[in-house]
Amino acid sequence: MSDISARTEPGFDPEMAGQLAECDGGGAVIGTRYAGREDFAGRLTGEYVDHGDPPWRWYLMTKLTLKPASYTATSVWCEKGNLFLSEKNA
Amino acid sequence: MARDPLKTKLTDMLGIDFPIIAFTHCKDVVDAVVNAGAFAVLGEAMHTPDEIAADIKWIRERVGDKPFGIDLVLPASAPPAGALDELKKGIPEEQQRFADEIKERHDIPDPKTAPALHQWGGLNQEMARAQLDVVLEEKVPVFTSGLGNPGFILEAAHSRGMKVFGLIGRARQAQREIEEGVDGIIAQGTDAAGHTGPIGTFSIVPEVAAIAGDVPVIAAGGVTTGRHLAAALCLGASGVWTGTLWLASRESDSDMIIKEKLLAATSDDTTYGRSVSGMPMRTTKCAWTDEWSKPDAPKTLPAPYQMLLSADYIQSANDHRREDLMFEACGQGVSFVTEMKPARQIVADLIEETLDVFDELFADEPVPANP
Repeated sequence: MSDISARTEPGFDPEMAGQLAECDGGGAVIGTRYAGREDFAGRLTGEYVDHGDPPWRWYLMTKLTLKPASYTATSVWCEKGNLFLSEKNA
Repeated sequence: MARDPLKTKLTDMLGIDFPIIAFTHCKDVVDAVVNAGAFAVLGEAMHTPDEIAADIKWIRERVGDKPFGIDLVLPASAPPAGALDELKKGIPEEQQRFADEIKERHDIPDPKTAPALHQWGGLNQEMARAQLDVVLEEKVPVFTSGLGNPGFILEAAHSRGMKVFGLIGRARQAQREIEEGVDGIIAQGTDAAGHTGPIGTFSIVPEVAAIAGDVPVIAAGGVTTGRHLAAALCLGASGVWTGTLWLASRESDSDMIIKEKLLAATSDDTTYGRSVSGMPMRTTKCAWTDEWSKPDAPKTLPAPYQMLLSADYIQSANDHRREDLMFEACGQGVSFVTEMKPARQIVADLIEETLDVFDELFADEPVPANP
C-alpha cells in the first residue's frame, strides 16, 4: 500500500499569518478533461490544512486583492507549492 | 562531426529514440507513440482510481518495459467549502436566461443523457490524492502534473524509481519546481489547447531554459510540425509536448465530426475565453463560444459554475452529434493538422521534417527563400 493517506490535519503557522502572498492557482475543471489556471493575491491568515502523509499543505488566504472577475467568495485555500510571498512583506 | 540534434537530455533520461511527448486521453495513441520510439502521457484527471489502475495495466501489456507517463491535475487553489455551498444554491438568473436563449436560437435539443457531473475526478484534494495513490502504487515510470506543483510528492515518487515532471505557465513556477527537484519541466505557452497561461511559447521556453540547469525543458503550445520541434530545440528545450497533433490521428477516439473539424481548422478557428468552464480556455469556435463573446452577453460565472451552465450544451452537442455545436480544446498549431494519419506516421513525419530543417540550416549553399 502507498504511504499516502487521506487524513487531514488543521493547524496554524504564525510565521505565515498576516503575510501578503500571490497564488498561481487553479485546478481540474468539472465536466472537462482539462485544468484551469486562476490567479489570486491577498493576505494569509496562518491557518492551514495538511492532507495526508507526506503532508500536502494548504493555506487560507483572505482580503483578496486579486481574484478572477467572477469569483464571488472572499477567501481561497492555496496549495503551499503555488504560493509566492510578496516582496512587500520585507 | 556534429552531434545528432535529436539526442537530448530528455531522450537520454527516458531512454527513448525521439524527443517527442504525446499528451493524449486515448490509450491507443499511447501504445502507438511509445512503440514508435517516442514518449506518451495519458491524461487521467477525469478517471477514478480503479480506472487509472486498469489503464496502466492495459498500457503495460502493450508497451512492455518501455516508459510512459500518467498525467493528473493537482488542484492549486480551492474556494472554502462554505462558499461553494453558497454558490450551489443557484446559478444567477441572468446567466441561466442567456443559456436558455442560446438553446432556443440554435435549436438545441435536450441531452439524451444527463451530464454525469459527479463522476469527474481531480476536483478536490481528496480525489487528487486518491488518484495519486494509484500512480505511486503502480510505480508509473513518469508522473506529470498538468497543473499544480508536484513538489510534495517528489520524495515518495523518487523512492519508487519514478520521474516527476511539472507543467508550468510562468517562469517563477518553473524556478520553484526546479529548486524542489522535479526531473523535467514542461513550459507551456498560451498557444496551447485548453487552459493555458498568458505567456507565448516563444517567450516562456527560453526563459525557463535559462534557469533550468540540467533539468530537461519540454516545450508545449502550438507544436505540430518538425519545424516547431527544431525551433523548440533551438530555444533551449530538450523536447516537445504535443496534444492537438494526436486528436485527429487514426488511433484517436475523438468523434469523427471533431476530427473533420480539426483537419479543416486554422489558427484563426480557435478561441480563448471563459465561456466553457469559467477559466480561460482555448477551444475551437462553436455556437456557445460565439454567443458568450458577443458584447451584450452577461459575464461568465466562476469555475465550476460556468461549467454547470455549459454542461447541458456539451452533452447535447455530443449526444446528437451536431457539427455546428461540437467543439474541442485545441491549440493554435492546428493549421498543420491536415491529414488523419496513424500515430506512428505522425512521429516519423515529425522527425523527417525536423532533420530537413537542420539540413537546410547547415547546408553549404544558402537555401532559396520561400517564393
